[in-house]
Amino acid sequence: MTAAAQPAGRRWRGSPLAPSWQKGYLFASPALIVMIAILIYPLIYSFVMSFYRWDLSSPSQYFVGLSNYRDTFNSLGFKQTLRVQLIFSAVTIVVEVAAGMGVAVLVNGRLRGLKLARTLLLVPPMIAPAVVGLNFRWLFNGQYGLVNGILRFLGLPEAPWLSDPDWALASVMIADIWQNTPLLVLLFLAGLQSLPQEPIEAAQVDGASSWGIFWHITLPLMRPILMIALMLRIIDTFRTFDVVWLMTQGGPGGATSLITVNAYQSAFQSASFGHASAVSYVALAMSLLFLALLYGAPWAARKMRRNS
Amino acid sequence: MAFDRLSRRGFLGGSAAVLGAGTFAPRLARAETTEIRALLITGGPLYPKYWEKVVADFTAKTGIKVKYDLLEFTPLTTKVVTLGAARSNLYDVFSTHTAQIDSFFNYFAPLNEYFSEDELKDFYQVGVDYLVNPKTKGLAAIPRNMDARTQYYRSDVYAEHGLKAAVTWEDLVDVSQKLTGNGYYGLVVPGQGDPAQRTFSDLLWQAGGDWVDDAGKPSFNAAPGIEALTYYRDLIQKWKVVPPDAVSYQWNENSTQFSSGAVMDTFDWPGAFSTLSNPETSKVVGKWSTAPYVRNRTAISCAISHAMALNSMSKKKDAAVEFIKYTVSPEAQLLNFNDYSNFPSRLSVAKQVVSEASGAKAEWLAQLEQTIATGKEWPKLPGFSRVCTLMFSTIERALSNQQSPEDALNQASAEALQIMTQAGAYN
Repeated sequence: MTAAAQPAGRRWRGSPLAPSWQKGYLFASPALIVMIAILIYPLIYSFVMSFYRWDLSSPSQYFVGLSNYRDTFNSLGFKQTLRVQLIFSAVTIVVEVAAGMGVAVLVNGRLRGLKLARTLLLVPPMIAPAVVGLNFRWLFNGQYGLVNGILRFLGLPEAPWLSDPDWALASVMIADIWQNTPLLVLLFLAGLQSLPQEPIEAAQVDGASSWGIFWHITLPLMRPILMIALMLRIIDTFRTFDVVWLMTQGGPGGATSLITVNAYQSAFQSASFGHASAVSYVALAMSLLFLALLYGAPWAARKMRRNS
Repeated sequence: MAFDRLSRRGFLGGSAAVLGAGTFAPRLARAETTEIRALLITGGPLYPKYWEKVVADFTAKTGIKVKYDLLEFTPLTTKVVTLGAARSNLYDVFSTHTAQIDSFFNYFAPLNEYFSEDELKDFYQVGVDYLVNPKTKGLAAIPRNMDARTQYYRSDVYAEHGLKAAVTWEDLVDVSQKLTGNGYYGLVVPGQGDPAQRTFSDLLWQAGGDWVDDAGKPSFNAAPGIEALTYYRDLIQKWKVVPPDAVSYQWNENSTQFSSGAVMDTFDWPGAFSTLSNPETSKVVGKWSTAPYVRNRTAISCAISHAMALNSMSKKKDAAVEFIKYTVSPEAQLLNFNDYSNFPSRLSVAKQVVSEASGAKAEWLAQLEQTIATGKEWPKLPGFSRVCTLMFSTIERALSNQQSPEDALNQASAEALQIMTQAGAYN
């Protein structure tokens, strides 16, 4: 008797699952196999690699326990990388979320030309990060770049965009903000347009100011969208690579070396895959930690309030 | 008509025959000719034509087909690292270089059995020595052309100002200061990644220092190292004779600054002689001359080489070695020199091109020969490839004034010792 011919709810012999479940798994299995092959297996494999001395110059790989992680945290370059990553993530996320919300509120109005503005907002996220990196590298070129050219034209002092450590970090953050803010604008705009209008109209009737309405009504209602935006950006800033690599290669002197850049250098310049895997897992752990804080902190606060 | 009488069986049989022939005929044909795959270096618009000719000539002579991909230096190295990590046999032959060779000691097959001692004697000793794995004595690659640097300066501008090419470090600062201003710079040096380490390395040797001491322990942070890095930093930050963006320059930016006419002096590889003479790639054709690399206590700078390597996983080693031998043959090296001014790695070919050259080219070749004669390379000790990556950021930190040269080198030295100890350099 085929599975299809069995009465609904009846289980196959020896199987704890109902036939419908088995069919479900059967149909999903190609996708599951692909997922396991290209996602889960490499993830586990690279995690195992992080406990091995695994480089091209060694004839064999051998288990070194936590040594790769210890080396990573002891290296001067990685301490600088951690600092740079935290500054980069904090600044870009705050600016992108704040600017994204501001622009979303603006384009949610009924001003002329907003349709064109909304369309143009799609352009930056559509451009490949590598192209963004190359373009900004040229824009910020000290001698021939457009930005310094404009500053020169206006009689203003030129900036060492890519050659000074602080300016270089600011430059890569500007490029990241330019590319990712529009995506958040679109996300927030979708959220704003789906909000119930009654509370806002009631507040308007009661004479509440625009800022008061935004702060006390719109923002709390937008909280789920805001959380998603923060989650996406936290994950993304810990994965940022192309823009930074093409603009500065992590330089000068590690001033823009994000964790991904550090991992890339370990793998493809030092040919040390064990260390590169360890660095990648530190990035993953940090990303998860921040996500846990993002979701865990409000939960803990609510629990504390309830207990008190 | 034949079609009128075509039965179903006949149609199916005929189709099967056609399908079978289509499937197996190419395999049978392929069995007669060997095909190997090579990952080769390129750079600039003319290089692909060189490989096209070399490969065509090789196939005509041997019947072995070579399917090849071309990549520039950095992406090529990255790709070989990836393939090496995967122990891939996708390519049988690789272009490689002395600078990164230690990363591939276990991926490239030793070439000792394919090149006799007598054959190796025709290659520059320094070119061969640094391609040898110090632990196993295996020859990881064979030099194809020598990489050494000379000074390229704007002879027209120098003559206008009554200046001569710099000989010493002091001269270099003096001359460059006189030529810096109005958007022009007296000198350009790279300041990022491997090119920064290469430049520091030359200055380190010229200051009388070295990377490691007799015991193989890091010594680049001793007084000569600090002097070298301080001088390097001061060119950019104190004397400001170098474009301030130089801390983000690699070789391409460095060469372009000179070929575009924005700077008056640089130190560049042999290929620059050809690039700077070509109106398609240079705005300063006929306006430059060459001089020896500047000196301080010594006149030492690097003598390294572009090389060819055999994949240890290759299943067609004999054919691959034949191709490697052809790429380093006198014939191919002459072509490489005549078209791209890449200096031969064979002494016999070098002797020939030097004897045939005249005028400015002869002077330049004499300068190159001198550099190669005294030249050296950083050590190929276990763990040193990781030390190189550490040095990139160390040098960049000093050049961009984030750390003093002394602090940067001392910290790097401590970490380098740890890396090399862990890698078994002192076992």
